[in-house]
Amino acid sequence: MKKTILSLTMVLAAGLLFAQKKTTTSAVISFDATTPIDALPKAENKTVIASLDIKSGTIAFEAAIKSFAFSNPKIQEHFNNKGWMDSDQFATATFKGSIVNLKEVKFNKDGTYAVTVNGDLTMHGETRPVSAKGFITVRGKLIVANAEFTVKLEDYKVNGGAIAAGKVSKEPTIKVVAEFN
Amino acid sequence: MPLSEKNGNKKLTGHGRKKLPQFVRSMFKHYIFVYYLAYNAGLKQKMMNRYKKWLIGLVILLLAGAAVIYYLFTLKYDDTAIVKADYTVNAMEFIKEFKQDMAAANKKYSEKIIVVNGTVSAIEMADTTANIKMIDTTNGAYIIFAFQQQHLGEAKTIKEGGQVSIKGSCSNGAFSSIMEAEYITFKRCAVNK
Repeated sequence: MKKTILSLTMVLAAGLLFAQKKTTTSAVISFDATTPIDALPKAENKTVIASLDIKSGTIAFEAAIKSFAFSNPKIQEHFNNKGWMDSDQFATATFKGSIVNLKEVKFNKDGTYAVTVNGDLTMHGETRPVSAKGFITVRGKLIVANAEFTVKLEDYKVNGGAIAAGKVSKEPTIKVVAEFN
Repeated sequence: MPLSEKNGNKKLTGHGRKKLPQFVRSMFKHYIFVYYLAYNAGLKQKMMNRYKKWLIGLVILLLAGAAVIYYLFTLKYDDTAIVKADYTVNAMEFIKEFKQDMAAANKKYSEKIIVVNGTVSAIEMADTTANIKMIDTTNGAYIIFAFQQQHLGEAKTIKEGGQVSIKGSCSNGAFSSIMEAEYITFKRCAVNK
């Protein structure tokens, strides 16, 4: 009887320790839409919600648009206005995808693994397929996911005057860092 | 016989007037020339005065424009620690307000500076972040505070389970399908002293 209880406890503990779906509410997404004539359109959101299922390889992000913090108040105001992200109407950006080469990632072995993630990015009310190259680093229980990709703003119907004037890059670079404990 | 011959050396004009002697005429010519020069110079002066006003106006406008552009481009957010708060709230009451009517709460609090008093439920550290969370354990809804760069050090000293007062800019509230709970995000936070 004692052995059975001990075994069950160990299975439960292992299950909790190596839960398949890992989440964080402090992932970081930064974007850089600077151009040679304007160095201001870049921001960082440090309160992004992310999940990673290490068994299926599915990965998801939710970012509140108003949580992108700019250094310049005017740029932040423009970013949230109707001409750019219209954050009152489209409050969040989401990504749902999966790791293509999941078999190459050993979540039980320390190391850095190159991954390709394919999925759908929804922002400004538009959903488009996205493919991103990145890395997954495993250090004990800690898993760190990094990815970098570009998006075409016109694909998401983001067409503000500043973009046409060349003050905002038409293809900003987006960096994602998520640490799962 | 020509009239001039008839009247000796005294020359008359076509209307019977005497023609002015050559030296007088030449003086008069000079006078006209001088008058022309003086008139021209006056005109130029008048025009110069007029253009001068426009030119000064244009320079002032250009300088004002450059000053406005410089101001807008170098504008930065103030240190949240010294900004006056719009609202002071209790964390759990604040979450309750968002859960009851998300749209109304967003309209009221979004982009406002708010002081939130509550208990620290979790501290999420990463390379560039030190986020503080206050969680309503009855339903999983939470408030998360991302700190302003100059206040990151303060965030790292906060202890889990302790009472804290945090001032920051409320971004907005939403429902997370990943966490299956409501959440409210803050940016540019500082410990309220």
